Amino acid sequence: MLPQFSYVRPETLKDTVKHLNVPGAAAHAGGTDLIGCLRDGIMQVNKVVSLNALPDLHGIRETADGGLLIGAMTTITEVSESPLVRRKYPGLAQGASEVAGPQLRNQGTIGGNLCQKPRCWYYRGEFNCLRKGGDNCYALDGEHLFHAIFGHDRICVITHPSDTAPPLVALGAKVRIIGPEGKRTIPVANLHVSPADNVRAETVRKQGEVITHIELPRPPENLRSSYRKVRARRSWDFALAGVALALEMDGDRVNKSRVVLSGAAPVPWRSQPVENAISNRRLNAETIEKAARAVVEGADPLPGNMYKLDLFKGLIEEELYTVSRELR
Amino acid sequence: MAEDGTIYYTNGLPVPDTPAPGEEPEFWKETDVVGKRTPRVDAYERVSGTAVYPSDIKLPNMIYGAILRCPHAHAKVKKVDAGRAEKMPGVRALITGDSPEAGGLKWKYRGYSGPLFDAHCRFEGEVVAAVAADTPYQAWDAVHAIDVEYDVLPHVVDHNLALTGKAPEVHDQGNLAGTDEYERGDVAGGFAEADVVLEQNYETGCQLHTPMELHGCVADWEGDRLTIWESSQGVYAVQSVLSGILGMPLSKVRVIGHYMGGGFGSKLWPGKYTVLAALMAKQAARPVKMILTREETFLCVGNRPPNTMRLKAGVKKDGTLTAFDFECIGPSGAYPGGGTEIVDWLVRDLYQCDNVRCLSRDVYIHAGTARPFRAPGHPQGSWALEQMMDDLAEKIGMDPIELRLKNIPSISQGRGIPYTRTGLKDCIERGAERFGWKDAVKRAREQNRSGSHIKRGVGMGACLWIVGGGGPPSTVVIKLFRDGSVNLNMGASDIGTGTKTIMAMVAAEELGVKPDVIQIEHADTGTTQYATPSGGSKTVPTEAPTVRNAAIDVKRQIIQMAAEDLGAPAVDLDYEGSEIVSMKDKSKRIQVTDVSGLKKRGVVIGVGYRGPNPKNKSVNPFAAQFCELEVNTKTGEMKILRFLGAHDSGRVMNRLTYDNQVFGGIVMGIGFGMTEFRQLDANQTGKLCNRNWHDYKLPTALDVPVDMESLPIEIDDPEANNTGAKGLGEPVTIPTASAIANALYMATGIRFTKAPVHPMEMRRRLSAGKEG
Amino acid sequence: MRTIGAGAVSASLTGAAMVAESKPGPPEKILDATDTVKLKLNINGVNYAVLVEPRWTLLFVLREAIGLTGTKEGCGRGECGACTVLIDDIPRYACMTLAVEAEGRRITTIEGLMTGEELGPVQKAFLEEDAFQCGYCTPGQVMAVEGLLRKTPEPSMDEIRTGVSGNLCRCGAYHHIFRAARKAAIRKTR
Ligand SMILES: Cc1cc2nc3c(=O)[nH]c(=O)nc-3n(C[C@H](O)[C@H](O)[C@H](O)COP(=O)(O)OP(=O)(O)OC[C@H]3O[C@@H](n4cnc5c(N)ncnc54)[C@H](O)[C@@H]3O)c2cc1C
Ligand code: SF4
Ligand code: FES
Ligand code: FES
Repeated sequence: MLPQFSYVRPETLKDTVKHLNVPGAAAHAGGTDLIGCLRDGIMQVNKVVSLNALPDLHGIRETADGGLLIGAMTTITEVSESPLVRRKYPGLAQGASEVAGPQLRNQGTIGGNLCQKPRCWYYRGEFNCLRKGGDNCYALDGEHLFHAIFGHDRICVITHPSDTAPPLVALGAKVRIIGPEGKRTIPVANLHVSPADNVRAETVRKQGEVITHIELPRPPENLRSSYRKVRARRSWDFALAGVALALEMDGDRVNKSRVVLSGAAPVPWRSQPVENAISNRRLNAETIEKAARAVVEGADPLPGNMYKLDLFKGLIEEELYTVSRELR
Repeated sequence: MAEDGTIYYTNGLPVPDTPAPGEEPEFWKETDVVGKRTPRVDAYERVSGTAVYPSDIKLPNMIYGAILRCPHAHAKVKKVDAGRAEKMPGVRALITGDSPEAGGLKWKYRGYSGPLFDAHCRFEGEVVAAVAADTPYQAWDAVHAIDVEYDVLPHVVDHNLALTGKAPEVHDQGNLAGTDEYERGDVAGGFAEADVVLEQNYETGCQLHTPMELHGCVADWEGDRLTIWESSQGVYAVQSVLSGILGMPLSKVRVIGHYMGGGFGSKLWPGKYTVLAALMAKQAARPVKMILTREETFLCVGNRPPNTMRLKAGVKKDGTLTAFDFECIGPSGAYPGGGTEIVDWLVRDLYQCDNVRCLSRDVYIHAGTARPFRAPGHPQGSWALEQMMDDLAEKIGMDPIELRLKNIPSISQGRGIPYTRTGLKDCIERGAERFGWKDAVKRAREQNRSGSHIKRGVGMGACLWIVGGGGPPSTVVIKLFRDGSVNLNMGASDIGTGTKTIMAMVAAEELGVKPDVIQIEHADTGTTQYATPSGGSKTVPTEAPTVRNAAIDVKRQIIQMAAEDLGAPAVDLDYEGSEIVSMKDKSKRIQVTDVSGLKKRGVVIGVGYRGPNPKNKSVNPFAAQFCELEVNTKTGEMKILRFLGAHDSGRVMNRLTYDNQVFGGIVMGIGFGMTEFRQLDANQTGKLCNRNWHDYKLPTALDVPVDMESLPIEIDDPEANNTGAKGLGEPVTIPTASAIANALYMATGIRFTKAPVHPMEMRRRLSAGKEG
Repeated sequence: MRTIGAGAVSASLTGAAMVAESKPGPPEKILDATDTVKLKLNINGVNYAVLVEPRWTLLFVLREAIGLTGTKEGCGRGECGACTVLIDDIPRYACMTLAVEAEGRRITTIEGLMTGEELGPVQKAFLEEDAFQCGYCTPGQVMAVEGLLRKTPEPSMDEIRTGVSGNLCRCGAYHHIFRAARKAAIRKTR
């Protein structure tokens, strides 16, 4: 059952920022994550500030330079079904279509998806773990079947739950943020926070800041983007392992690449080793094998999630073979 | 109404003969209603949203209850301070172990008896206090405001550690809850005779029932009379437990449970929550609605215990099984719950084997108590036995189907008496044929040689279910109104298996009326007849013969009355749909609705009782299931392509709901075999990690194959009971997981001895190789 | 494209009617956590005025305040779909929707699919195909299929399965649910 909170639905961004700029205030977009968090008591919220009456935060449009501007309040279903997104950034459309289940996609927003809280079962359960303000991470020595193998520094081993963030990072997207100190635009790649930097926060948003839009740059020629997700069951499930690819191709050659993993780390995890293994190379069996080996470079798996090593290898292999087959 | 033919389906066609008083009815040879694909009599209510489930009840002045539960796996409650909570807005009742209302009350479950509020909390989720308030939100606010001081104690939640001597004791007398030993023949001799002896350890995960409707009730007092609407599989069981705990006469406890949103064994009895609702309703002098949260249902309303098993088996080259040696350990939980109950039954009974030894040890751990879960013990035992059968077959170079067919027992060896009928052979044989077993195996082998990383496998498993014949007691009353319409009154619950519909069909068959004009009253201890809870796949074989007997009783009385009207002896008369006709002189006939006795009384009441089961014979359903699947050997993902269930459950009573049961059982078996497991934080807190449907994964619409087939193996079984129906609800989920495991073996060459096999486990094993 | 908030979908994407006109202005001031406020909800074409706390979910208001108990609660956490309703024709979870957020929207529940006492086409198909066992997930399944068919009148089997993949059925009646959805689609388009 939800605890008590006050509620306000401002009509201007200015009012929204004002309402949010006090401790205990939380933004409500689709509410699909926020309400779960409140039910589980994982954050202390005494004021819910709805973004639903704000104009201009909803919808997808093409920008003058041929990119896209997606309002933060656009639903995940809309992102996944938008002909514009499908044409220009199929990887993002695929990512969005892999989120949760249909009802949650109809209700959840792309802004909320980027800002959602992690799904660690200790964190969501009655455990006062490090991320919630306690003293230790239960998952490290406990049950971490679904947890991270990269970037956790043995501090907090969540995996970032979003399926839209990896393709957005791969595609070089940025978020527009408005806050008490004005507006700023930052790459999605810099939005999320690793435990070593701050174990209590998931994004770099400050008190009172709201994401208003997501900007996608004009897709380069011959961009091939995709998102592939492996999960324990086929609906309502976060990634065990996922990979977003943004490859700039020249025939069967990869000119440039961005490879971002989900289910891997506390933040959407850019795999530089894989990028190095495939960039400026022909996508042949040798390259693919190298890439598969590269994907687990630097991994720090825990006893209970070793399986993710070969899973990521297999996933990269399968995905890159799919790409190379398409080229034929 | 009767005249225009809307009540009768028969239009003068004969209905089954009415046996003379004292005589047993004949086995139906052909049926007009029974067996047909018939939509449910209560389908309208269920699809329109008008069916009122216990959780939908709203009474004037009703308030809402919530329970404070111990957050530790093992702790002692030192102090409960509810001072703050009592004063919170909306709070109308509050009860703790210190409250006078709770004083002296004992909770009883399966032979155990202890205080309702036990300060010694032996599992996470034990009740500590309860509140009722104007809204559930306020009740939870108050629960959060109760301050409790606990002494947190060391725990053991791993059943494999419970008996090691290093584990803390759950109860003073130690952690061994019970031992069950069984032996027949000469096991050592049997192994000596064998050409091949194999031994293997197996493990199954803890499965949680989590029916869609939350556990809960509404409690309401009128003076000294208590009415409970409980989401339950058996209203009389709830009545009996409550009257025992509260010290009230049975007649003063009325339990109603017309609709219920699934139970699978977890709703055979009430919970402490039911008692707390009743106590707080008394305290507040207002009705209390107490519906558990989803999280609570993961903690304290039962589970299928995890089992660790070892099976050693011997076989001769010709396929003769020479010996089984089976050992099993499993947890009851914090209190007696049947941690290993009948896990060994399939080893004892399914295949012909003269030399069998079984040892089961049931242990206590600091976790929620087990409850019967759809075919208790059987899917676990099947997981071991059916995989072993495939391994034996492989070792002696025999087709796994052939090995099974070679070992069809002629009697129930576990009991030493014959089955009334056994369809085991037909299930396996006809199932395999329909499934296209040989071709499927060939196809899979071809694909696996092709070099693709997508591997294919087919597998099967056979089973029986330990009971499934039903039996007394049961009483059913049928009222025939003067217009020919019928009221059927029974105590049994319809837990989603279509019981009401099947009973209406049975009454319709006998009385010649359409099933949908039969009004059913059921599952209410105040107004309907005694019945045992709906579980054990016994409801249809128990109630259907009883209904038939009640209908025959009505017919006999009407014939007696018609004899006076027609001036013909009753022995010459019989029922012919809407009419009573003299067999001697067909011109002597009278509409049932014109029988003066019926017109005068307005209603004729027939009573049926469930007769005894056949002596020295065992009534059991049998089955075989077949599956084809694919494995992505790079990622560990699996896809079930199709499933076929061939089931001998005697007479098919309603083909539509029959198929639905078969498919539903397979879906649940897929969960057991591939997605579901309780995860306890064993090494740190002993608390439950996955207490919601996101972390505890049920199969979704995308996890089950579109291609599913139900193949009824209908074998007349007149000895079972007078309808020939046997249980279906449980066998349908027994061999599913083992069929999957056998298919996975064909696809990967890896024996998956640990259930469930989810992609994480698949990937791990693919990396670890065959031994891992 | 006018903004109407999360969950509402632009006409260009789904053809769903927009109801921007009916949307009242936002609360002028903060709704106090401890007070109840009067809220107008449009449910099945009928306007209801209810007193709610800000934290009450649409599911709670439907079931316990208004008494429309056809919509069920299985989890209250967005993990089962028993509470599925249509909001502006789109399936959503009532348990994950604050009642105050549903203001000005068109809410359709299982009761709203009936014409008087007559079942709607999806309900009829569920009845005929026996697309349920205990029936507790059924209203949610029916609403998911209804929402699917309003958007995709002739769905493929894959679209049907995805359409109900936000609805658990513990009884496992999926196979019959797929059949019912297909039947309903054929009936509706005919
Ligand atoms: C059962 C279940 C399964 C799920 N499975 C998946 C999955 O597989 N993959 C996946 O990616 N997601 C999954 N999700 C998460 C779901 O996608 C998110 O809940 C959803 O995207 C959040 O969007 P929302 O608009 O509802 O956010 P809200 O719940 O409204 O907000 C989420 C958080 O973000 C903040 N916030 C929201 N919008 C903004 C903004 N514009 N600016 C600043 N802060 C903001 C809120 O304050 C809040 O803390 C699942 C969720 C559930 C409940
Ligand atoms: S992984 Fe992070 S969120 Fe989970 S228990 Fe550890 S600190 Fe808490
Ligand atoms: S009750 Fe809303 S999704 Fe389960
Ligand atoms: S019919 Fe019981 S949960 Fe679906």
